[in-house]
Amino acid sequence: MERSEIQHRVQKVVSSVLKIDSKEIAPQSNFVFDLGADSMKSVELIAGFEEEFNIEMDEDRAREVQTVAGAVDFIATYVQ
Amino acid sequence: MTHRALSPEAIQQLRSQGCYAQDWSRVLTTSDCDLSRIRNVVFRSSVSVGANAGVANVDGVEVPCGLYNCVLMDCTIGENVRIAHIGSLIANYDIGDGAVIQNVAALTADAGSQFGAGTEVEVVNEAGGRVVVLIPELTAQIAYLQAIRLHDPAMQKRLREAVVQTAERCRKDRGAVGQRAAITHSGVIRNVLVGPHAHVQGVLRLDNGTILSVAEHPTVVGEGVNAKNFIIAEGASVTGGAMLEKVFVGQGAKIGKQFSAENALFFANCEGFHGEAVSLFAGPYTVTHHKSTLLIAGLFSFYNAGSGTNQSNHMYKLGPVHQGVFERGCKTGSFSYVLHETHVGAFSVIIGKHYTNIDTGDLPFSYIHETDGQSEIVPGMNLISVGSIRDGEKWPKRDNRKTTIKRDLITFDVFSPYVVEKMRRGRSMLQRLQENTPKEKSSVQIGGVVIKRLLLRKCAKYYSQAIERYLRGKVFDRIEAALATAKSWEHVRASLKAEKGLKEPEKWTDLAGLLTPVERLTSLEKSVGNGSLRSYEEMTNAFAAIGASYQKDEWEYVTQAFTQEYGFAPSAMTLDQARDCLKAFAEASASLHGAVFEDSKKEYDAFARIGYGLDMSEEEGKRDFETVRGTADTNSVVKKLASEREAMTQRQKKLEALLGKF
Repeated sequence: MERSEIQHRVQKVVSSVLKIDSKEIAPQSNFVFDLGADSMKSVELIAGFEEEFNIEMDEDRAREVQTVAGAVDFIATYVQ
Repeated sequence: MTHRALSPEAIQQLRSQGCYAQDWSRVLTTSDCDLSRIRNVVFRSSVSVGANAGVANVDGVEVPCGLYNCVLMDCTIGENVRIAHIGSLIANYDIGDGAVIQNVAALTADAGSQFGAGTEVEVVNEAGGRVVVLIPELTAQIAYLQAIRLHDPAMQKRLREAVVQTAERCRKDRGAVGQRAAITHSGVIRNVLVGPHAHVQGVLRLDNGTILSVAEHPTVVGEGVNAKNFIIAEGASVTGGAMLEKVFVGQGAKIGKQFSAENALFFANCEGFHGEAVSLFAGPYTVTHHKSTLLIAGLFSFYNAGSGTNQSNHMYKLGPVHQGVFERGCKTGSFSYVLHETHVGAFSVIIGKHYTNIDTGDLPFSYIHETDGQSEIVPGMNLISVGSIRDGEKWPKRDNRKTTIKRDLITFDVFSPYVVEKMRRGRSMLQRLQENTPKEKSSVQIGGVVIKRLLLRKCAKYYSQAIERYLRGKVFDRIEAALATAKSWEHVRASLKAEKGLKEPEKWTDLAGLLTPVERLTSLEKSVGNGSLRSYEEMTNAFAAIGASYQKDEWEYVTQAFTQEYGFAPSAMTLDQARDCLKAFAEASASLHGAVFEDSKKEYDAFARIGYGLDMSEEEGKRDFETVRGTADTNSVVKKLASEREAMTQRQKKLEALLGKF
């Protein structure tokens, strides 16, 4: 899967879960500081990524991801 | 020592020291009573006085024992007692050896008083109907039976008889102040039994109550307290202008800082400061520390109420008939509101205001929060939070009770058959919802709250991991113990057999702190109902027996649930299955523990540093934060979690090696 597609789909999930316009979601956006994802939203985001990409992520490592670009990189390790 | 009548010379001496008696023949003293230490005393009716050569400590100063500036009516005074400066009188009291009563407005008892026993306290439902009769020996479990198990009238009738009979035994014609108790600088005290070694200082008014106290854990009733119809148990403290009416304060509990309570029961180690309680059944470790907090019409235990917490139902039409249940271990965030009726599952966190009737009993360890006025739930979220782990460890350490007899029976385990079975039910519920909810739907309703569809699978997984960790962990505890001496795998397997004693090992209940299979409770209730258990003592002994069978019952549950989960009984496990089991246990444990570990470290991330290092450079701000908070590496909880992780790995290796023996 192309990185651009992963990026697009990650933004779609983030937008849907955090109720943020996808235009406001930049690769460098920090989930907590910029996008307001609390611990509960973090769980929902992980669940959203897993469903979107049909993958089962290592949650310990997933929780360490801090930015949208980081999420794209992490998911790429599962889908590429 | 025997008492004797005063000689004419003795009477003359006392008269010369400002004393007066209605009838000097009814004033008796022991031969070693120093009459020079009896001054300005009015004796009315019969008064006997013991030896008084010693000294008493009042406000840190040693002063002579004896009787000074007081009116005594129908009293017996023990040895080395100091009574001084009584505003009105002391009447109808037996004063124990070494007691001090000084600067007290009045201390009187009416014949036939029950001293708070027999008081009917309306708990859990503000409109009544759930009555607990106060007795000094009240336990959380007997109160639970009285208040909650109302479906069985025969049992209730017998229970009520036993409790009332116990309350009747408290009826006395005289009050008592126990040995070495001290009552100082206080207002009117009427019909109050003051136990040995109790400290009553500066109270405003006490009316119809019992203060139980023992040498190993004296009870304190302090400044400004105004209490009526109450029982305060050993080692409790009620201070700081607390206002109590129809209240029980359990062993080691603390009430103070202007807390007010009416129709409320606080069992062992509860803490109530600043706020208010009405119609409250506060099981062990219910804690409320903040102003504007109202705990009302509820059944709680191991509960921590944030500031401004409130529960109520102001939309009622037939009066305040509401009630609510927060199962053990719940927390409410600041200014949270929960509309009763409600039933919140164990170890849940409630944040925000909730205007629907929540019923999430089968979804323990949840976060229930408010989004745009809607109540949402994240089931199992608290399984990956460091908070619940910390709570579970702190409760046993904070057991304030220093008495030999600890009346409330408490099961401290966070993970027990009770919550694990609820997680199994919750997991099934979530899995069913996941299967039946189309992807187009973003959320579903469950127990009055909303759950995001995306979370159904994820939260079911958290429950699965916790179930796995508990069941496999319990089995490996036994395997590890057996491996130390077993000569063969067969020997190990034999140690995993459960003694079958329960018909339904999966059905458990929480009796205000005591966890037990439901059938043990129903069996006890049957015995009460048919008269096999008659006296109060027999009933409390039966509860103690239930408590003592916890580990045996837990193992029976574990073996059944394990078999249902994994398709074979622990005692039928092959060596290969044991190795697989160990691997799965380690994975589940590591995953949950890893999440908790990460959560604990969040307390030190950049978010936590907001507000530190004002007007400082980044480096200075970092130093400011670390001076106050330390670092994740130095935090005791984080360090402990890190060492636990290491210990888990080592244990897995050790168990693998031990299994390799066969």
